Amino acid sequence: MTNHRTGTREEWLVARVELLEAEKDLTRRSDELARRRQELPWVRIDKQYRFETEEGSASLADLFEGRSQLLVYHFMFGPEYEAGCPSCSSIADGFDGFVVHLANHDVTLCAISRAPLEKLQAYKRRMGWSFPWASSYGSDFNYDFGVTFTAEQQQSEGLEYNFGALDMRPALEAGKEGPIAEFADRVGTDWATYTREFWGLSAFALEDGDLYHTYSSYSRGIDDLWGMYQWLDRAPRGRNEPEIHAPLSQRWIRRHDEYDAA
Amino acid sequence: MSNHRTGTREDWLAARLELLEAEKHHMRKGDDLARRRQDLPWVPIEKEYVFETDNGKKTLAQLFEGRSQLLVYHFMFGFGYRVDEQNPGCTGCSFVADHFDGAVPHLNGHDVTLVAESIAPLEELHAYKERMGWRFPWISSLGSDFKYDFGAAFTEEQQRNGADYNFRHVDQPEPQREGMSAFALKDGVVHHTYSTYDRGVEQLMGTYRMLDLAPLGRNEEAPADWWHRHDEYETAQEEATR
Repeated sequence: MTNHRTGTREEWLVARVELLEAEKDLTRRSDELARRRQELPWVRIDKQYRFETEEGSASLADLFEGRSQLLVYHFMFGPEYEAGCPSCSSIADGFDGFVVHLANHDVTLCAISRAPLEKLQAYKRRMGWSFPWASSYGSDFNYDFGVTFTAEQQQSEGLEYNFGALDMRPALEAGKEGPIAEFADRVGTDWATYTREFWGLSAFALEDGDLYHTYSSYSRGIDDLWGMYQWLDRAPRGRNEPEIHAPLSQRWIRRHDEYDAA
Repeated sequence: MSNHRTGTREDWLAARLELLEAEKHHMRKGDDLARRRQDLPWVPIEKEYVFETDNGKKTLAQLFEGRSQLLVYHFMFGFGYRVDEQNPGCTGCSFVADHFDGAVPHLNGHDVTLVAESIAPLEELHAYKERMGWRFPWISSLGSDFKYDFGAAFTEEQQRNGADYNFRHVDQPEPQREGMSAFALKDGVVHHTYSTYDRGVEQLMGTYRMLDLAPLGRNEEAPADWWHRHDEYETAQEEATR
């Protein structure tokens, strides 16, 4: 006998139909949020950014590859990292499968990281991915879009991440041991270097040759893009993590070629 | 100059911060729903279901492959959107399935088995799977009541006289519809914990989650207008421009 409450088909159905109404309500709210995102003013970008790509040096406009919309996943892979962040890698596993559908719907999805292109390419080969991945090494791009921080910012009272002030100092102090040190170890660097990179997604539009920033999201704002969580949120034991989105919650995540060893 | 309203970084930030609060509120509601799903009573399954799999005949309990949770995607095959003899897998379900392979290793590493299930001979599923380049396990429920009992297929009688789909009565249901069902295995007993259909399945599609963040949003007259199997887009485009 399970510890979980069991019931008859009829009892389940009553509870399920009640939940269905709440689910439909949430879907409609999600549609409404999507509409509100589209109504955000577009901000023209005049600054020139350069990236290294498999096709050579490219501007931000070049990354659209002829489409009118660009989604950039800010993938945590700093120049000093030996491998990409495992959590970002699990997100990328998801979008690698459906990037073809976006590409055929006027949206280019690419990842951008600060590591030099050769490091990104080697890791991409190891993971077997096909999505475009550009290097912003030497560019202000990651800093301007709020996903890389200088050592000074890191040690300040509040660096700005996810539209709010984040005091990293206690976490850095605690991070010398524990989960942050563990994550840093998994990308082959130290905790201070590891935590200079953050994750997020930024959206851009190209119209009449002008480039616009339309949207950015960080932290749990990209939970929805994390394919496996959509499944887990419907599984009998849910996310089955000690807490939602603390560093501890993601301890179970490995790169897809590392689970057997784990 | 864009037809879309443009603004300064400050204008954008003010609007974005307001939206962020709404997004956070939405996220918390989503967490709350996930908790409510886990609180649903588990219904023990007494009926025996047998499936054809890559490793021979298996019962529902054997599909868990040693894990405690099983998610089954009810994949429409031989009937569905843009289906014909050369293209037997539903275009919509194929689109959904393009989201599976990336998630499978992580789910498997976290005590969850994910399989797709269809009412078609296993060889036909194999052939289509190979064409699509998929790796996730795909099993045949042909000859079993499974897909019917979990509300994703309808008998000829039901197609004439009506049945429930997505927990609502439909006068003349189609032979098959999309859905996902979740099961738990505890002390040797399989329990049904959850099922979702229709737009509930859309929630599993990262593509739509991404489009909901893109400048032009979903950018579709009706869902499915622009969908093709992932190996068909080039041909579709050539035909459109001819």
